[in-house]
Amino acid sequence: MTERAHDLDTLARDVRVHVFREAAATGHVPQAPAISHALGRSETDVRAALHELAAAKVLILAPNDGNIWAANPFCAVPSGFRVAAAGKRYWGICIWDALGIAAAVGSDAIITAPCGDCGVGMTLEVRDGQLVRTEGVVHFAVRAHAWWDNIGFT
Amino acid sequence: MLLFRDEEHVDRWCAARDLARGATITPEQTWRLADAWYRNKAKPDWRRHTLEETEALLSSIGLTSAFWNLRG
Repeated sequence: MTERAHDLDTLARDVRVHVFREAAATGHVPQAPAISHALGRSETDVRAALHELAAAKVLILAPNDGNIWAANPFCAVPSGFRVAAAGKRYWGICIWDALGIAAAVGSDAIITAPCGDCGVGMTLEVRDGQLVRTEGVVHFAVRAHAWWDNIGFT
Repeated sequence: MLLFRDEEHVDRWCAARDLARGATITPEQTWRLADAWYRNKAKPDWRRHTLEETEALLSSIGLTSAFWNLRG
């Protein structure tokens, strides 16, 4: 591995840790300028690291502007999958990720999500690491081997 | 992955989009998947699950049908 490639791998790890810790701590997914400022690295290098992380399916970049759409389980923009945990508000891109936020934050959590068909709201609750309130069923439309073919749809 | 009130709502959603029905699992199974998937993602030594580890995870919560086959 060249020195440049090693540096990019190290930066990608640092970017990942920063993004996920910041998202868990604040409910906001930081974008390249803020990551650049926090890590003291150029925005160009940070964007290269983000592309490496996206290629490795660690996070998802928006196709239009290259910003982070989701540092799964944390969605950077509001969605119907809402999580209240540790006094903060989060969003997931799907019900799996909404539950994943409770795991990533390591806190009790209330998850609310609409029925995909009729839109009626439902509530799940995680307490002390257990799912203690549950309703509904979770539907996977895509077979497991194809989940990442179109992750937005999955 | 969407949450539905019940199987009938899943059927209606699929029919409205002319989609083949996928698979449904319980929120409890989904929680176990999510917990294993995301609990450690902010740790420096985190890495993606290997194919074999993911297969073992799916199997451990009873997801063993062809739908959950990761090898295509």
